[in-house]
Amino acid sequence: MVISDETRSKIDEAISKYPVKRGALLPAVHLVQADHGHVSKECAVELAEIFEILPIQVMEVVTFYNMFFDSPQAKHHVYVCTNLPCSLRGSRSLLSQLESHLGVTAPGETADGRIFLGHEECLGACGYAPMMRVDDEYHEDLDVEKAKRILDSLGK
Amino acid sequence: MPKITIDGNELEVAEGRTILQALDDAGLLMNGIDIPHYCWHPKLPVDGSCRLCQVEVEGIPKLQIACDTPVRDGMVVHTQNERVKQAREGVMELLLVNHPLDCPICDQAGECKLQDYTYDYGVQASRSKEPRRALKKNVDLGPTIVFDQERCILCRRCVRFCREIPKTGELAIFNRGDHSVIETFPGTPLDNPYSMNVADICPVGALTTKDFRFKIRVWFLEDVPGICTGCSNGCNIHLGVANNKVYRYVPRRNDAVNDTWICDAGRMSYRRIGAPDRLRECAVRDESGRLEPVGLDRAIEVAASRLRRLVDSKGPGVIAGLASAHATNEDLFTFRRFLAALGSETHGVAVVRGEADDLLIKEEKAPNAVGARELGFGDARTVVDRIGSGGVDAVIALGNDALQEGLLGSEEPLANLDTVIVLDTHASELQRVAHVIVPVRHAAEKLGTFVNAARRVQRVVPAVESVWETYSDGEVIAKLGAALGLEGFDGSYDARQVARDLAAANPAFAGIDLDSVGDAGRPLADSAASKAER
Repeated sequence: MVISDETRSKIDEAISKYPVKRGALLPAVHLVQADHGHVSKECAVELAEIFEILPIQVMEVVTFYNMFFDSPQAKHHVYVCTNLPCSLRGSRSLLSQLESHLGVTAPGETADGRIFLGHEECLGACGYAPMMRVDDEYHEDLDVEKAKRILDSLGK
Repeated sequence: MPKITIDGNELEVAEGRTILQALDDAGLLMNGIDIPHYCWHPKLPVDGSCRLCQVEVEGIPKLQIACDTPVRDGMVVHTQNERVKQAREGVMELLLVNHPLDCPICDQAGECKLQDYTYDYGVQASRSKEPRRALKKNVDLGPTIVFDQERCILCRRCVRFCREIPKTGELAIFNRGDHSVIETFPGTPLDNPYSMNVADICPVGALTTKDFRFKIRVWFLEDVPGICTGCSNGCNIHLGVANNKVYRYVPRRNDAVNDTWICDAGRMSYRRIGAPDRLRECAVRDESGRLEPVGLDRAIEVAASRLRRLVDSKGPGVIAGLASAHATNEDLFTFRRFLAALGSETHGVAVVRGEADDLLIKEEKAPNAVGARELGFGDARTVVDRIGSGGVDAVIALGNDALQEGLLGSEEPLANLDTVIVLDTHASELQRVAHVIVPVRHAAEKLGTFVNAARRVQRVVPAVESVWETYSDGEVIAKLGAALGLEGFDGSYDARQVARDLAAANPAFAGIDLDSVGDAGRPLADSAASKAER
């Protein structure tokens, strides 16, 4: 079993909140990804058993949403917003300088697997442009030095 | 029942049907009233994703998709006006934006809905200059199917098919929007007994069968209506024929038999027609025990003299007939008449049995087991038992199904008989013990009828002609009857006339002849034999 008993009981609790079992699939995928960093084929098979669906139906959901991953990921996910307001405030140049700082081409991952750098369309923080998302946190009113410091502070 | 008006034609339709379903029910869809469609399929759940079937419904401001708009009384629908035409052009342009347009090397060309609808409803030139999506080519989806992701228009027919018909669900759409692609779950290939149907329902060249791809351009093929002989379901098929060769079977829609499907085993059974082990010449066993090739007349002469000698010395009771469930009703009726005229009462039909499912695949692996029983052939076990007890000196065998375990088991029980006459399509161990061998026609090479497991009489017509001399079983039996001087046999065999004689002699077949049975078949009337069987 790749999904832990603890996560399984959390999934059961989520299922109890929905009129149809399958309604809890999204929260369950979130829980599994929080444990493993991605939803592996093995996890999909076990989730399919729990939800009484086909493993491929779990993968449909996993691949549909950008925030779910079906393969091992970098330790940290960094997305620089490049939509219009952020672009007007210099986010494209910010992104390219972060690319050379990390030595990657976005979307891409550093050689040591520490950081994945990508761009994102509008994260709804236009008032604080330019901004980026680091894992689940927003960093706003950025300049290049501030952004580099944030990236350098990220652990392995 | 609601009345609707489509392009000025009033139509009475069943409650709760969608516009496309109603037209399909009435046989009008793409046959009088043209509403192009990709994702909708008459035998699959509605998807509504391709947007090509948009029509104008009076009273509704926006165009509606005909596949998912239920009919209601008084509805007025326009399928051909300027607004609809423009919407179709728009959809076609979007579908073609990323299509590789590799028709010259695509197997679907000639039977491709994207090609057809582009000619009929699309614009003639592309406005897009951007590079097209580069995706996976030549993806091995499983043992039977190859997938080209670039050609796929994401209609989801294959996904729905796998979930709804074989219920194996191997395929799904991964990712979303313009990243969407069809995929299998890692390590779970597309592998089910009906997998090759996805190539038929794929409207473009994305899914093709490994068996047929690159064999021949489809416009060289003539579609001859026929019946699959793989089991007693009698699925309706088209035989794709060119150069006097059958290149493929594809399902032919018959809602009373197989909807629009066929199993993979049945589809691949076309290979039996031109198989290297087909029997190609008549042969008789000479005094040294060797089989010697002869003409049909000589084979009949030898068979007749052997049988005559036995009848004269021991009476007709020592002659047994083994019928084949691969033979047509006309063949079997002639054989039955022959045995009766000869005075032989030992006969039966051997049918190979195998796996069955609750979709199409039936237990009896021959097309005409029901017909054979209807014509009075009982269980072949009685013949085999009689051979075992020494009461039989001669066997006339149509086909080799009796070799199966549980009946003869092998050719051995026939080895010491005085006379074994074999009429068969393919080589088998029976040749080892046969004294007379006559090659006969495969169902794809002759005219006649079969009765399927649901008691439906269905017709086969000659799709190809074997390049060597072959004969219908009935034709050989008729000649043998004449050579023996039996009453009612003048040596001629005409399947049409035999079918009429059969209908006159057997009330269950009343009114059915080779013309009236049509391409779709007709149900057999209930008879004493069928009632006893139930």
